[in-house]
Amino acid sequence: MKLYSLSVLYKGEAKVVLLKAAYDVSSFSFFQRSSVQEFMTFTSQLIVERSSKGTRASVKEQDYLCHVYVRNDSLAGVVIADNEYPSRVAFTLLEKVLDEFSKQVDRIDWPVGSPATIHYPALDGHLSRYQNPREADPMTKVQAELDETKIILHNTMESLLERGEKLDDLVSKSEVLGTQSKAFYKTVSFFSKARKQNSCCAIM
Amino acid sequence: MAETSEEVAVLVQRVVKDITNAFRRNPHIIDRCHMYPAASKPRLYHCMEREHRSSICKMRKNQQRRLLGRKELILSGTLNPIKDLHLGKLALTKFPKSPETWIHRRWVLQQLIQETSLPSFMTKGNLGTIPTERAQRLIQEEMEVCGEAAGRYPSNYNAWSHRIWVLQHLAKLDVKILLDELSSTKHWASMHVSDHSGFHYRQFLLKSLISQTVIDSSVMEQNPLRSEPALVLPKDEEAAVSTEEPRINLHHLLEEEVEFSTDLIDSYPGHETLWCHRRHIFYLQHHLNGSQLSQAMEVDGLNDSSKQGYSQETKRLKRTPAPDSLGLEMEHRFIDQILSTCRNVEQARFASAYRKWLVTLSQ
Repeated sequence: MKLYSLSVLYKGEAKVVLLKAAYDVSSFSFFQRSSVQEFMTFTSQLIVERSSKGTRASVKEQDYLCHVYVRNDSLAGVVIADNEYPSRVAFTLLEKVLDEFSKQVDRIDWPVGSPATIHYPALDGHLSRYQNPREADPMTKVQAELDETKIILHNTMESLLERGEKLDDLVSKSEVLGTQSKAFYKTVSFFSKARKQNSCCAIM
Repeated sequence: MAETSEEVAVLVQRVVKDITNAFRRNPHIIDRCHMYPAASKPRLYHCMEREHRSSICKMRKNQQRRLLGRKELILSGTLNPIKDLHLGKLALTKFPKSPETWIHRRWVLQQLIQETSLPSFMTKGNLGTIPTERAQRLIQEEMEVCGEAAGRYPSNYNAWSHRIWVLQHLAKLDVKILLDELSSTKHWASMHVSDHSGFHYRQFLLKSLISQTVIDSSVMEQNPLRSEPALVLPKDEEAAVSTEEPRINLHHLLEEEVEFSTDLIDSYPGHETLWCHRRHIFYLQHHLNGSQLSQAMEVDGLNDSSKQGYSQETKRLKRTPAPDSLGLEMEHRFIDQILSTCRNVEQARFASAYRKWLVTLSQ
């Protein structure tokens, strides 16, 4: 089970701002890593953009699960994991990170912040520690106060989009993705990296 | 690009020479292969070393031809099999599934154990035969290679099958190695809860441990037979055993595995692999109890002159191992607990299916 990225964002009126992010792309091939990272940023921003304040959601895209929590004060967190990582722990992590972030970083800095200007060094450590959900959070077996029934489940990224919107178009228009990444998306989709060839049934 | 077998051999030798030189500088600098097609020559790939010095590997699209070339080099004594294994290890970092690579690897290992004059096994007191240090190192290396490949691709059947093959043919199902593998793969399994092949490996280990453990009939004789069908090896069996062989408590091992399964099912709801694993373990326990029971009955039957009272019972139990009623009860309680508290739809589905399976088992 794996965590790939952990990001803190701000859901502004006009656009979503990335405040801080941590990544673990070690399992990807060396030459794919920077593109994969860009895609995870792109995905995180898109998900926050399309999620309402005060909600939690899990967006599934092939072998990846993106968990998002948008607080009522517009602070948001996204964790991108594989499909083995328990979602309960992912949401616990998001809650914890956003809580800590809001105490360490002034609210006034949120709407105009960027990873370069925001000072929040703990994120990498959290990502690394939470790779093993049971070490990081020994109480995972205990039912969290979190009401799991309120988590919105999306079976694909496409279901976040408006009628007629295409993911390909959003990719082309994106400011977050470099030209190489956009080209990469066309040849090897980030989301299909782990797709098994010739798999008729998947054992969960 | 070369097409004849001589040219293949030359190419392979060049590759080996390049790699050998790289290895001579530092045997472990190449930790993985990152490949991309070099712009100028489509079939040329660069192998990036950890220190970013590149060593050019001409990897042919025709895998079979290349591997045949390597086989010829090994048989002629030109290529050291160990070096070939290193090369294969590299290839697996990029192609962790590649069936030809695994098949070739087994061929090389067989060459190593057959051709060389060094023995793979030696006798040690009354412990029977155990693998030599050299064989143990080979086995360990193979375990590592399989482990890495398993991590690179989900449910990597080829890697896990190779691992099993190594235990069967190199380690000859040595009990100590089986036990070590059982404990050393536990953490990996807990971090890969939908890796069916990984859990199947654990089932193989447990099955092998059962088959390799000789149930000492003298132990059974010395202990009184209990009348309940849920007979397990009596706790005071240790006193009766006088050999130096490490006693494996099979029941304890299986119980631990059930606990492990419970723990994972609770922590990670909705993984079919975990439920499949549980079925296998339960079945092994069930079978173990049954076979021991029928063995015990047999031993007792031999000594008892008046078999009248037992005979019907003996025949029935030998035919169908009696389900361990206490174990079944516990399983049903476990299922009840899961169904009453879980919120995961899949988890509920798997739990119900498991219950249905248990019911068929006791019919």
